[in-house]
Amino acid sequence: MTTGLTGTDLLALSPFITLTGVILVLMMAIAFARHLGLTCLIAALGLLVTLANILWVAIFVDPQLVTPLIIVDPYALLFSGLIVIASFFICLLAYNYHQQRGGHQEEFTLLLLLATLGGVTLAHSAHFGSFILGLELLGISLYAMISYPTQGLLSLEAALKYLILSGVSSAFILFGIAFLFATTGTLSFAEMADANINPTAVQGGVQGGVQGSVQGSESLRLYMLIGGSMILAGVGFKLSLVPFHMWTPDVYEGAPAPTTAFLATVSKGGIFAVLLRFFVSVDGYQYQTILDGLFWVALLSIFLGNLLAVMQSNIKRLLAYSSIAHLGYLMVAFLAAAEIGGRQLAIEASLVFLIAYFTTTVGAFGVVCIMSRKLAARDTDQLPDYEGLFWNRPLLAAFFAAMLLSLAGIPLTLGFIGKFYIFAVAVDSELWALLVAVIIGSAIGLFYYLRVIFTMTKRSSVTEGIAIPKAGGWSLVAVTLILIGLGVYPAPVIEWVSAIARTIS
Amino acid sequence: MIAVIIPMEQGLLLAAMLFLIGLAGVLVRRNILVILMSLEIMLNACGLAFITVGAHWAIADGQVMFMLILSIAAAEVAVGLGLLLQAHRRLGSLDIDQAGRMQG
Repeated sequence: MTTGLTGTDLLALSPFITLTGVILVLMMAIAFARHLGLTCLIAALGLLVTLANILWVAIFVDPQLVTPLIIVDPYALLFSGLIVIASFFICLLAYNYHQQRGGHQEEFTLLLLLATLGGVTLAHSAHFGSFILGLELLGISLYAMISYPTQGLLSLEAALKYLILSGVSSAFILFGIAFLFATTGTLSFAEMADANINPTAVQGGVQGGVQGSVQGSESLRLYMLIGGSMILAGVGFKLSLVPFHMWTPDVYEGAPAPTTAFLATVSKGGIFAVLLRFFVSVDGYQYQTILDGLFWVALLSIFLGNLLAVMQSNIKRLLAYSSIAHLGYLMVAFLAAAEIGGRQLAIEASLVFLIAYFTTTVGAFGVVCIMSRKLAARDTDQLPDYEGLFWNRPLLAAFFAAMLLSLAGIPLTLGFIGKFYIFAVAVDSELWALLVAVIIGSAIGLFYYLRVIFTMTKRSSVTEGIAIPKAGGWSLVAVTLILIGLGVYPAPVIEWVSAIARTIS
Repeated sequence: MIAVIIPMEQGLLLAAMLFLIGLAGVLVRRNILVILMSLEIMLNACGLAFITVGAHWAIADGQVMFMLILSIAAAEVAVGLGLLLQAHRRLGSLDIDQAGRMQG
């Protein structure tokens, strides 16, 4: 056990301290002067400083465990960097989204930063205590962000749905953790890994345990299995994988567009980061039952997500179903990590895929944010609302088309690199059924993404009044440049990510 | 003093029963207030499970987790009640089925 924090510990934790400091400054700023532009400026600058801080830690501070709770290693720093960058762009888009709405919109930015802190905590957690803390910081901020608009009932309904279902899934995760805790007598991932690999050590009691009421490795495995399944059910909900996906389209539709962008990226990315770290360090892959379950989850997510997306006439719902399918693709890479031999490649694949998913999703919802700047009961998210965008606002339409093509996995975009990696690991780990599912899913995907692009090319005057604001416009330019730049020349990112994958596997 | 030791399995069984009661409440009841209460029961069942396990292993982690769960449940309910007031004001009812304008 460590006693107190040393100087190096504090340096390693500095991104947390910076982000928390920014939140406090922002809170005071809002208390003294309500000004949307100022609030967003402080938040955006604060996020940039945090990003610089993360880079600094990544370069100059050695990977280390700071208290049993927080781990600072390249893997965690990659995820927190991604989360902070995504929040930065969402913050700018949210500024434009809220600009013409009036009322008190400043606290939204505060909630955004709090949720970002939750996501960063998730990325760094090496202990179930910090996992739960990050999860709930993220979740509870999200409830308020979803229900933020005071017009219309959709957001209220979405928030109620998300609150209840997310609460239930958190309870499932907690009860699952209690089971793992009962078997191993520890809450830290690393110690749990020791107990899991060498079960006899537990019965003697790692902590000088009391009466060994969990007897034999059979009942130990059973407890681990129940606990693991409960955690996976809860995490599956948060990642909106198929049997637990029902909330996704409704919440995506009801939430304001910047919140949806945040929910789709940061929330899922942070939780996936913990899931992968936990599974790799504890070697959850030794439980065949869990692997079989996850196989069906991935397969069904890909098929149902893509098939239901075809039927949507609402952009947000379409993107919701497409995100279900994308998380299904991600689970293919997750399952491919089951074999030790292919693990490093699989982790590399899921990291590259997530980078592509983050970029594309922020961009796609960014366009929806810019389209929905008018004060109305709902966002501009119906398919006919986008008719004629190519003729009236060619630049905006081009951004949107780039995002959609990237989601479909067309070459020269980052989405293609991510999809290609998923193919590669599926072949490498011989997951043929899932490979076929990914191929069929991508084919269906192409159909509905292209349908949106065709809608934009229709001649119509619906989209004539759309203006492209500065902050949001430049964010979209940056996101599109990242998307195409890395899609054409991905080598540096791949090299970097593969070095990170080597440290974790 | 005679220390009464409750076996961990029994504690976990009680917690599991509470958890299921809460889950049934969330699934069956239609009133948002009652659903929030059932959610509390589920979270507190988790807390009880952690206390039991922590006592079994004789370490403080279980109690620390219980404190965490307590504060999480409080935060969750605070936001939940806020939404509940909004729902009452805008929907004019606390029936969760009233909140069904979106179609899957």
